[in-house]
Amino acid sequence: MSDRCGAGGCGERLPPGMLEAFDLGSPAADGALVWLEVTGGPEPEISQSSLEVLGKAAELGAGRVFGMMFGGSALRPLYGEAFSRGADTVYHIRDGRLSAFHPEAYCEAARDLAERIRPSVILMGATPRGRELAPRLASALSAGLTADCTGLRMEGGSLVMTRPAFGGDLIADIVCEGRPQMATVRPGVFPAPPPAPGRKGTAICRGYGGSSLKDIAHSAPVPPDGGDISRAKVLVSLGRGAASREALEAAESVAARLGGMVSCSRALVDRGLLPQSRQVGQSGRSVRPDVYLAFGISGSVQHKAGMRLAKRVIAVNKDPDAPIRDDADLFIEGDALSVLRELDKALRSPL
Amino acid sequence: MRIIVFVKQVPDTDKVSVDGEGRLVRSGAPAVMDAYSECALDMACGLAGDGDEVIAASMGPPGARAALLRCLELGAGEAFLICDPAFAGSDAHATATVLSAFAMEIAPGADLILCGKQASDGDTAEVPPELAEKLGAPQFCYVEDIRIEGGSMLLVQNYGDELRACRHPLGALAVASVSKGGANRRLPSVSAYLRAAAMEIKTVDAAALRLPEGAAGARGSKTRIASTMASGAGRRGEAVDGSDPALAASAILRGMAP
Repeated sequence: MSDRCGAGGCGERLPPGMLEAFDLGSPAADGALVWLEVTGGPEPEISQSSLEVLGKAAELGAGRVFGMMFGGSALRPLYGEAFSRGADTVYHIRDGRLSAFHPEAYCEAARDLAERIRPSVILMGATPRGRELAPRLASALSAGLTADCTGLRMEGGSLVMTRPAFGGDLIADIVCEGRPQMATVRPGVFPAPPPAPGRKGTAICRGYGGSSLKDIAHSAPVPPDGGDISRAKVLVSLGRGAASREALEAAESVAARLGGMVSCSRALVDRGLLPQSRQVGQSGRSVRPDVYLAFGISGSVQHKAGMRLAKRVIAVNKDPDAPIRDDADLFIEGDALSVLRELDKALRSPL
Repeated sequence: MRIIVFVKQVPDTDKVSVDGEGRLVRSGAPAVMDAYSECALDMACGLAGDGDEVIAASMGPPGARAALLRCLELGAGEAFLICDPAFAGSDAHATATVLSAFAMEIAPGADLILCGKQASDGDTAEVPPELAEKLGAPQFCYVEDIRIEGGSMLLVQNYGDELRACRHPLGALAVASVSKGGANRRLPSVSAYLRAAAMEIKTVDAAALRLPEGAAGARGSKTRIASTMASGAGRRGEAVDGSDPALAASAILRGMAP
């Protein structure tokens, strides 16, 4: 796959009229380029998911680790953080206008960068913005891209990307034809590397000379609704069989006592009982708590795709044939609301 | 205004069964139009006024006609099945190649291309941005609303942590992926059913799209599945009778201990 271009270079294979080889399929491609997504307005920081990807990129052993970030000079303090978490070189596309997310401009600048540094691998967090930018860049570079990977490894220069398929009942290993090889990485799957203070690197600033900026008329932060279920250690999750105010109250109380959060299947979102940010599943979030308590969740394929990585699953359902039984370490055949209330009572009473 | 809506037909995963080994049994599961595709179509029909065109198109096997018929019932003015054995095995890259050829060859001059945010079977969400880049058009993902204001479109995007609205001039192509149904959602009327049943679903193949051999399908793809395995099915553990809720609650507390 990687021998599209012989050791002698691609020169002799260039079509007439083409002056320079932008053949990223060349085995000369080396290193991993990581988009460092920046969050927070006045005091920017590198997002947790980008740190996770940076750590994984360093661990892959694909060569040097390049970070790229977009925004004004306020990002300068982040170089040290990037080096300390594994980046060898940080490319800062410095333009204050790029502190807002402009996928077309980011793509243009990232393409220019990739054509210059010829990375073998390009990685981003599978955040909403990462999943918007990565395919545009893949198209611009004619690169293969695998979305939302839960595993990455190198095999003889090839990046093997693992992702759940068909709602998680199958795990597929996917490889790219040609270079660069691109993947977005599911947040929360890989640990962020511990900081290595004093680790040094090179920062290179470049301007943005293009004009692919969007006309953003309004932008407002959506207030966080009390946390991120994808990082919760305990989830008390409600489904169609527990889609009521009473169940929600009991679940909130149980979650508070267990130091966890309440999540749900689509049924509760459809009924307006919980916001979409609490939904577990393919169209919601992927979670990986230590304990997943599923009350009245039948376990559709879409839902199971989001909770497969839970360490321990306990399900309560009145239907003994509910599909979630196959994914539960402990299955309790019973009424979700009554059991939830008893659980709340048991946790309230000091024993 | 000319609006193209690309829709996808997916197996109805609520009706997919699981066999004794925990593997999916997909045969016999009815195919349905993906929920986000329906949102996109809905939004297109809500935007279209008199004299505007809504063109629905789906790349898929002949069975995808069902989704296209549904598009016609919901208000699309024309429907195309993009179908060729040479398209089999297309990844997101190859799919975007085919769809961009459709937008250039069959429905040129579109003002807006709408897709669903992602499809429930593949769940990659890669096609809309790949398509936008191929067409040299700006992209708008996670769109919840589109309004026409004066000479421009206002597209409202929800990134989960940020809600923003972008202005885009009418008359220049934009590609949007839709994550929420428009205000247009309604059941088709009997006359809409009858009208749709009388309409033709046209088929276009690789030749009609002027696609060179090897541009689509597995050969035109940039990714390849190296292997698959059944995932951790077999977690199925102990089952406990929960007819006494108090006993069930203590079983949960015991079961939570690692």
